[in-house]
Amino acid sequence: MTDHSLPEGFADLERFVPEWVQPDAEHRLAKRLSTDMDAIKAFYGAMLARGEAALAWLRGHELGTLPPEGENLLRLMLMLAEVAPAVEWYNDQRVYDGFPVERLRYIHQISDTAAQV
Amino acid sequence: MNEMAKPPVPGIGITAKYPEIGTGPCDTAIYHEPEIYEKEMAAIFRRSWYMIGRVEQIPKSGDFFTYYLPTFRLEVLVCRDRHGEVNAFHNVCTHRGNVVEHRREGHSSGLFVCRFHGWSFDLEGNLAKIRDEEGFFGVDKACNGLKPIPMGIWEGFIWVCPEDEPYQSLEDFLGDQGRDTAGYPWGACSQFYQTEAEVNCNWKLVNDSPAEVYHIPVLHPKSAAPTMMASGNVMGRLLDTRVRGNHRTNSHYSVLGEPKPVQKLAYFHAAAAQNVVQEQLDYEMPVGINPTRSPFWTVDLIMFFPTIAFTLSAGMYTAHQVWPLGPNKSIYQQRVFVRPARTAAERFGQENTMVEFRDIVMEDFSTLERIQRALDSGQIKQFHYHDHEMALRHQHHVVTRILADYDREQAAA
Ligand code: FES
Ligand SMILES: [Fe+2]
Repeated sequence: MTDHSLPEGFADLERFVPEWVQPDAEHRLAKRLSTDMDAIKAFYGAMLARGEAALAWLRGHELGTLPPEGENLLRLMLMLAEVAPAVEWYNDQRVYDGFPVERLRYIHQISDTAAQV
Repeated sequence: MNEMAKPPVPGIGITAKYPEIGTGPCDTAIYHEPEIYEKEMAAIFRRSWYMIGRVEQIPKSGDFFTYYLPTFRLEVLVCRDRHGEVNAFHNVCTHRGNVVEHRREGHSSGLFVCRFHGWSFDLEGNLAKIRDEEGFFGVDKACNGLKPIPMGIWEGFIWVCPEDEPYQSLEDFLGDQGRDTAGYPWGACSQFYQTEAEVNCNWKLVNDSPAEVYHIPVLHPKSAAPTMMASGNVMGRLLDTRVRGNHRTNSHYSVLGEPKPVQKLAYFHAAAAQNVVQEQLDYEMPVGINPTRSPFWTVDLIMFFPTIAFTLSAGMYTAHQVWPLGPNKSIYQQRVFVRPARTAAERFGQENTMVEFRDIVMEDFSTLERIQRALDSGQIKQFHYHDHEMALRHQHHVVTRILADYDREQAAA
């Protein structure tokens, strides 16, 4: 990810792009596990405040047709989904008292951006 | 979703519907003893069928996927042939036994070429070409095609049997449970995430994990419990457990609790994958799903004994599959199937669903290796099952019965 831009109106979130845009779900999980909770909460708070606006933009765009800045915005939102339990359920990167999630292997993933229909 | 009045909390009385299953404490030997595991292998696993994928994974002629069945150490190759038929073979080259196709999935132009010495096989499994054939001493190509593995399709799921001569047909194996759940839009949920983990526990513990909700208020206090609590179901009770032969279905009830902030985004702004409102179904609910026809139904756990269960709601489902590796070792595979997303916002809904399921299963699985240690060290010799843990009692009953039948069968032989 070298292009840090987001769609018009989302410049306030561009500072998150370099670190929080990850290529797939497996990397998003790794990012969650390796980031301290203060940084996760800062990202979560900023994204949540812009969540409805981001989804309104994403609703207007079909998968498979996203411009690069749209892909960045989508991937930031996918990262928000990944960190939500860390903030809302556990107040920890990890599942409270859980089975070690590192032992889970991703065998098949849904593409972040490709058309599905 | 379900914004109606709180449902009456379900009562006690599920176990009483199945008097043959009993009510006493259950001996835990079947959860750890090596000799019992060996017997299960012959009496249960070699006689069962295994789901390894879906027809949507190979839509066109030449499309293929490979699958490893860890319990049996069998490599399988599934492809769509020139006539559009699905074929399944042992993925074993007849020259010297390498896999014929080493990739997990892909498209073949019509030949599978072994990456050892280059023998090639067509989509129907015929041995098409032997490289430098003149150096051999009369290998009969007609007798050296790929060996088919017994394969059947149910509702778009591809199942195989490890035995050359299956003990029972796929249809008989699925039985009433298969008939009563056919017609659900299994194929409409064409997108899936799949994960797996090795877990140091007996296969039955993996099955037990989602098969009771008695634990939800305690083990899932922040994640799954709030919805259940909102319905007043503080003890974590089921609508019903329905037994069908070796198989069984748990029906779960609840009303929609107050969603968490990101859940709200997913549910209300991104058409989250699971949110198909029952009143707006685009299909007719089969009789085996929400069998009590409760307006407060949310999810069924549909178990096909011995190794696969579906957590299924009106709009999506998850497959939990266990592959036994030994008396205290298993592989767990989870597939989260969701409907395809058209817009980028819907893609966010899919991700939210996958992450929630994954983390809740990680909560569930915290208990498995701990229980297995207590079993292996002889510290727990009996399990006491609650009325609403009836699915576990039923599994115990089915395993015990099959093993006893097998003993009689062996004695007679
Ligand atoms: S093992 Fe396949 S060509 Fe030799
Ligand atoms: Fe659970």
